[in-house]
Amino acid sequence: MLRYLARRMLGSIPVLLVASFITFWLIRRAIDPLAKYRHIRDAEAIMAQQRKALGLNHPVIVQWWSWLTHFVRGDWGTSARTSDAVSGMIQHALWPSVQLLFWATIASVLVALMLGTYSAVKQYSAGDYFFTGLSYLGIAMPDFFFALLAIGALVTWPAVHFHLNEPILYSIGLHTEGESGLSLDYFRHLALPVLTLTFGSVASWSRFHRSAMLDVLNADYVRTARAKGVPRRQVIMRHAFRNALIPFTTVTALDTAFLISGVIVTEKIFSISGMGQAFLTALGAGDAPFLLAWFVITSVAVIAMNLLTDVAYVALDPRIRLS
Amino acid sequence: MAQLETQPMAFRTVIKNDDAVWVPGTVLAGEPKFVASPVETITYQINPAAVWSDGVPISCADFQYTAAQEQSGPDIYDRTGYVDLDRVSCPTPKTVVVTYKKGKTFAGWQALFSSAVGILPSHLLKGKNRDTLLKDGYSWSGGPWFAKWNKGQNIVLTPNPKYWGPKPHLDKVVFQFETDTAAEFQAFRSGQVDAIYPQPQLDVVDAIKQGLPDAHTQYQSQTATVEALFFNNARFPFNSRPVRQAFSYAIDRNAIVNKLFGPLGVTQAANSLNPFVVKDYSDPNAWAGYRPDLAKVNSLMTGAGWKKGSDGIWAKHGQRAAFTIVSTAGDQRRELTEEVMQPELKAAGFDMSIKNTSADNLFGTVLPAGNYQLSLYAQSLTGITPGLCSTFCTENIPGPSNGNSGENWSWVSIPAADTQLRIVDTDLNQTTSEAAAAKADDILAANAVALPLDPLPDICIWNDKVVGPISDNPIEGMFWNIDQWGIKQ
Repeated sequence: MLRYLARRMLGSIPVLLVASFITFWLIRRAIDPLAKYRHIRDAEAIMAQQRKALGLNHPVIVQWWSWLTHFVRGDWGTSARTSDAVSGMIQHALWPSVQLLFWATIASVLVALMLGTYSAVKQYSAGDYFFTGLSYLGIAMPDFFFALLAIGALVTWPAVHFHLNEPILYSIGLHTEGESGLSLDYFRHLALPVLTLTFGSVASWSRFHRSAMLDVLNADYVRTARAKGVPRRQVIMRHAFRNALIPFTTVTALDTAFLISGVIVTEKIFSISGMGQAFLTALGAGDAPFLLAWFVITSVAVIAMNLLTDVAYVALDPRIRLS
Repeated sequence: MAQLETQPMAFRTVIKNDDAVWVPGTVLAGEPKFVASPVETITYQINPAAVWSDGVPISCADFQYTAAQEQSGPDIYDRTGYVDLDRVSCPTPKTVVVTYKKGKTFAGWQALFSSAVGILPSHLLKGKNRDTLLKDGYSWSGGPWFAKWNKGQNIVLTPNPKYWGPKPHLDKVVFQFETDTAAEFQAFRSGQVDAIYPQPQLDVVDAIKQGLPDAHTQYQSQTATVEALFFNNARFPFNSRPVRQAFSYAIDRNAIVNKLFGPLGVTQAANSLNPFVVKDYSDPNAWAGYRPDLAKVNSLMTGAGWKKGSDGIWAKHGQRAAFTIVSTAGDQRRELTEEVMQPELKAAGFDMSIKNTSADNLFGTVLPAGNYQLSLYAQSLTGITPGLCSTFCTENIPGPSNGNSGENWSWVSIPAADTQLRIVDTDLNQTTSEAAAAKADDILAANAVALPLDPLPDICIWNDKVVGPISDNPIEGMFWNIDQWGIKQ
């Protein structure tokens, strides 16, 4: 297993190199690092100095290699917007986003599995139709719209209707000023952003799991097990559910990138100063050094999720051997 | 916001009888002594009780340090009023004498050590990198509050116990950052925030129109901001005065303003490029003559040799009267303005396309480079210092003479306007200055160098829990006197 992981991690390096080069090249094409100096006093002299300092006189591949060698040594450059170290900015923004993604992934997986299993086992029941309808709504509805509806229905309406001094759930940040840690205040802040991220994922993942469960439930070995007198609950949980988890795991890993894109919108609506907000700000300001680091970090996250998925396969299916 | 609360200001702006006026800040012992000749000299007496939060007295050395930074320090973008200073001398530690160079004057001298940057503590900053020490916030204060900046989240104000003036009533004020207007209103409605000062956007106007329960709302159009259409006077087709004038007669500006801000009672377009707060330094009716009038459009265009083509668009020497407008992408108010204008212009024989961009690109690259034909944006004052010379005088067209940093992004060059605008900036006689400002407005309007649209309203909203003398201050914003606010128990 360890050898397999080491090999996969080594195999990820070329992927990351190619991804980082493409990102670097695209950002260099889209954002002129000298634009902000173009119209200041003594522009020509300052631009010449900056061009040299930033290595812009060299071909793109040389610039990229220089950036990369600094990057792997922990020097992620300086933000064009704030003049802060990019590594510090990423570190600051990463933690809130990791929290959101962690809770959203757990909630999405659990709820999607429950709904998918229920819908498959109770196929064509009223409950199945209800959850099917709800999931179509979840797939169709944009995150920002759902977020605003959720704030209106779960924060504003109860506060106004019941004349509450403070709302039951909050829609700003992850803590009230002065609070910290895993407190009730934290979960009251966390509930809506996680619900926003979860809603769309649950909708698609539960549909997928329902379909996988139905395939397995209609398989010959499941019919055989039932014919042999194995109790229905045991057949569903031990045979069907476990086997249906393998394609489900693949889909959730692939959808991680969508969850990250959901974080961008969610953090903006809920004023959470994470990677999503930082990305939007950097994009608006043309902050190339920050954007480069952001894309590399998210690429690493997506590759890591795929690696985790491979490991999960082994746990789910003993026939799979990683070698 | 945080600067006003932590950096002592020589002058603050207050509203008296609906007029914004300068009043000496608490750091001064009284009104400074102003002498106009033989050289402009201002003598400030510092309040003997004024101290920094570490107990060090605020002294003349702080004024000297601040002036030196404003005059020649790095990362100062507006050196207005400081460039012509001859010296800042200190007869006593609590007396400051500011002297201008011979023959140089600054009519808006109250803006010195006020407005955007206040007085800085020399004992903490001298000899160090000021920008590095201030860019992430700072722990010192020379005002009623300390300000703690939690990047990306909020600014928290807590009282400065060493402040010598009236103590703030509140123990803590949290300024929460919320960039989404809809979420901002939901946060207010649900009681998560007690007061908001939103941008005058369309959804804000809608929300106010629908009504906010248990809320107090104040809005006014007599502000420090004017939104206008700015022509590039050096590029086709707006390098022609008749075309700019014809354009100005093609648009129903009042209808646009009514559509945007009618529900707030703002229905009349601005008729000066000077915002309302400096109304004495303007001709408030300079652009009033530009009303929709297709007959005038036709006569101006045909008089200038243009003929309408088969597509109904004016053309001259094979070039159509087609142009592109650029503004800030995603700004609902500006996008609606453009959409309303487009058919009006088409009917008048102009073909306008819309190509908006990010604010950073617009203000950082497109406008300074003159790489546009028509643009829509707002100009705001940060102090009640009148004067349009920085944005309309010939010497401020970006170029080698000003190191490409001039702000006359409309490329306007009218010698008669230059003369009047320079008087506004430098003449120490208020009557002369006011008359020159009005004349300049008239000249700029006659040449149709730009077209004022909306007097952007300020909108203040707060709930029943907040008490105190709450009112808008067009220059300093809604929270200008937050030290006097309280919360109902």
